[in-house]
Amino acid sequence: MEVDVAVIGSGPAGLTAAIHARGSGARSVVLLEREEELGGILKQCIHNGFGLEQFKQDYTGPEYAERLIQDLEETDVQCFLNTLVTDLSPDRVITALSPEHGAIEISAGSIVLGMGCRERARGSIGIPGTRPAGIFTAGVAQRFVNIDGYLPGRRIVILGSGDIGLMMARRLTLEGARVIGVYEIMGYPSGLKRNIVQCLDDFDIPLHLSHTATGITGKERVEGVTISKVDSDLRAVKGTEQLITCDTLLLSVGLIPENELSQQAGVEISAATKGPVSTETMATSVPGVYTCGNVATVFDIVDHVAQTGATAGASAARYVGGRLNGDVPHVDIVPGENVRLLFPHRYSFQGDLLLFIRAAEPVEKPVTVEVSPPGSRITRPYARPNEMLRVRIPGAKLAEVRHPLKVSIREK
Amino acid sequence: MRGDRALAREIQGEIEKAIGEQPAVSVRDGIARLRGRFPSHQAAVDAGLLAAGFDRIRQVVNDLSFPGKMRFRTPRKVSDELTGCEFDVVVVGGGVIGLAVARELSRFDLSIALFERHNDLGMDQTLHSCAMVHPAIQADYGTLRWEMNHKGNAMWGDTASELDVDFERIGTLIVAENPEEEALLPYVLNEAVKHNDPEPELLDRDGLDRVEPGLASHVSKGVLIWNTGIISVFELVIAYAENALSNGVSIFLDTAVTGVHTEDSAIRAIDTTRGTVKARILINAAGLYADRIAQYAGDRFFTLHPRKGETIIFDKSYQPVRTVFAPVSLATEAQDSKYTKGGGIIPTTDGNLQFGPTAIEVCDREDVSTTAEGCEGLFEKFAPLLQRLKPDYEKPDKGKVITQFAGCRAATYKEDFIIEPSRKVRGLIHAAGIQSPGLASTPAIVERLREIVEEDWRPATDGAFNPARRRKVRFSELDLKTKDRFIWDDHLYGHMVCRCEDVSEAEVIRALHGPVAARSLDGVKRRTRAGQGRCQGGFCMPRIVDIISREMGIGKEQVLKSEGKSYVLSGRTK
Repeated sequence: MEVDVAVIGSGPAGLTAAIHARGSGARSVVLLEREEELGGILKQCIHNGFGLEQFKQDYTGPEYAERLIQDLEETDVQCFLNTLVTDLSPDRVITALSPEHGAIEISAGSIVLGMGCRERARGSIGIPGTRPAGIFTAGVAQRFVNIDGYLPGRRIVILGSGDIGLMMARRLTLEGARVIGVYEIMGYPSGLKRNIVQCLDDFDIPLHLSHTATGITGKERVEGVTISKVDSDLRAVKGTEQLITCDTLLLSVGLIPENELSQQAGVEISAATKGPVSTETMATSVPGVYTCGNVATVFDIVDHVAQTGATAGASAARYVGGRLNGDVPHVDIVPGENVRLLFPHRYSFQGDLLLFIRAAEPVEKPVTVEVSPPGSRITRPYARPNEMLRVRIPGAKLAEVRHPLKVSIREK
Repeated sequence: MRGDRALAREIQGEIEKAIGEQPAVSVRDGIARLRGRFPSHQAAVDAGLLAAGFDRIRQVVNDLSFPGKMRFRTPRKVSDELTGCEFDVVVVGGGVIGLAVARELSRFDLSIALFERHNDLGMDQTLHSCAMVHPAIQADYGTLRWEMNHKGNAMWGDTASELDVDFERIGTLIVAENPEEEALLPYVLNEAVKHNDPEPELLDRDGLDRVEPGLASHVSKGVLIWNTGIISVFELVIAYAENALSNGVSIFLDTAVTGVHTEDSAIRAIDTTRGTVKARILINAAGLYADRIAQYAGDRFFTLHPRKGETIIFDKSYQPVRTVFAPVSLATEAQDSKYTKGGGIIPTTDGNLQFGPTAIEVCDREDVSTTAEGCEGLFEKFAPLLQRLKPDYEKPDKGKVITQFAGCRAATYKEDFIIEPSRKVRGLIHAAGIQSPGLASTPAIVERLREIVEEDWRPATDGAFNPARRRKVRFSELDLKTKDRFIWDDHLYGHMVCRCEDVSEAEVIRALHGPVAARSLDGVKRRTRAGQGRCQGGFCMPRIVDIISREMGIGKEQVLKSEGKSYVLSGRTK
């Protein structure tokens, strides 16, 4: 099968990309989804707060997905459900498996990567102890509760203050479980402020900063979790251990862009963002392969994800139409003062530059985001590592730039 | 005997000198027995090792008590369903040794039952081993362990192909980093030859580049001991079990042995948690509890001291080495260390690199918990070494560790295997104290056990015995056309439930049925690899809980992670 644009993944990024690819002139667009329904992780996010910016509406995850799916249904984008992409070649041939279609190969003029991210598990953070039942990543627990209607446990400790963990603290409390506390290794929360307030504070669930789990006990089911304070190097402080009796440990300790397919295609991966090295058009290092959403870098809110999806879809359509070149001159975008993460990585002179920035350290007072050259200064009321700063630099201002753009965050 | 008393006093003196505690020591028939109160577990273990250090001591029974000593609890009886059954042979223990010997004895016209206390096979030492077929160079020359190691190693090629199990001789590569180490290589080579490792090779830089490309420029020479193998260990467990079953062996899971009846010093009957069965031959392959089984039969002549090993496992995307990789500094350290093998850098047949295992004496045989010290220690020991010797390969990253695990070795104080008929009870045959390199030794151990049975019982050959077993198709390994054909035959092959390891729903369903069916999430994981990948079940766990619930006809809240009360979920939402 041959198509103009193939989009892998139908979460908010992939859905938006498919709609925009078709809307931007691609004649045939396919959307590949490994689950039986479109929507990706949105389906299990039954809380609200989706689409505030994009649609000026306070949707739940499924409502937000439904809105995008309606838009998609007005197009002739062909959706393959229950279809897992197993291989992706640098010359843009997709191999996928599905119960309905068998083993299929799709040759695409351009490809949009929208595979999203996965949760970090126990192994990569190395919590010692036994290996009983009752240890879940927050997203798995969310699926059990919101999709399957089952409780992961009754007495719950949450490690990490990622947004999904915060959501689950509230959700499990509402389901009658006891959430004993949320323990965060950093000195500041990693989830959004509004979630700290609405999911923890409103339910009197304590958030313990600078704490981590240093042990798990229980042979068959979790019986307890040992919590320790950490020092400024994030190392557990001996003598501060406390054993908390519980039957469940939820992990909300970070998300990892899921780039195994991207790497098969030969896409260069950034060590900083763990996603493809990208330009402002969402182009990766492989011509005709574009990226968007959480597979590109882990975003904070869905509106940002969708925004990159729109750009990637439009770029993919322009690429097959011959209106966008895969190999264009570019300058690098590099982090300066108090910048932990930057997206995209390169500017390729294709119009405005929309920058997503995470601060390294929180600044709870007005800050200036400085992009130099061209010397743009943009003011924001604060900078927090858990909330991305987004700034737009007009293309006209960047036309003459010949050196790497350095981005800094300074107190105003 | 006077000689025994003198020896006992000598042992007592030695222990007092070294540890400062005085145990009561008695010696009989070469068996030393230690009693008394000791201040710590480690002191009690050290005392046992000191006693075993005497040449005239054949085994050590260590009854020293110490604070925190675990009391053994006999498993509770659950039914009488097996009472009245009669077998020629009972094998205790469903680890690799028990399964392999059951299969080996099914060559004869004997009725055989195997009892396993867990709800799955190979759950203790087998599963926690490093899945390696060791070369014999590391085993103490002249010991039974060494003999079984070199003989067993040589047999693995045939055994693995008979059983259709992934097995690859990747070799151990010992590299020299400086002239002093280079000078040691001829010694390493000689040791390998002396230990019967066939044709070890001294490699120059060209040879090294062929075997292990990308070594640092300061490495100019090495020794390759090519017969080191890696094996798919759970596939092996299933293979032995399937072949044993197809040759008429009965396997009983969730069945612990709780007593042994003898009559006129011969085996008569075995008590289990599911009733009492009659038997003439009892093969003690009970791993961590082999001393307990010996005691039940009235033949208590050794004590096991569990030694825990922790291992860390990396994501498949990190595969810096092709061989079991050891610079001379590491290899000589392992030789110096009498009671451990120091751990290593060991690839697996699945492509996940391991660091480990460690070796720590523990008092609880069930202790399979990992520790921060163990895992950190492994990383700190091996990561800098890889970085130094493979400087162009990506830097070892803790973030690429996907899991850690631990298991206990069933060591005797002599640190040697016990593979022999009981000197007291006719029909009792011990395969005890089997620790590393037990996996490498397995084919030789079961051959020895078969010879013992043949000699003592002269059983008739079963003409219908078939040693061959074929493994099930692994869907992810098929080419695209064949995959397509499979999906058209059974559309569930097209439904992928584990994206990290590419496992289809059809394979999960297959694992839940058949003669050695999985009964839990972990059981499915071991059989299909679903959940063993980089996301560690983040994607597939809810899907597999679904499939288990449907296929076993149980509620989701009844689905187990492993066994006992390891329920995954705790009930419905409101």
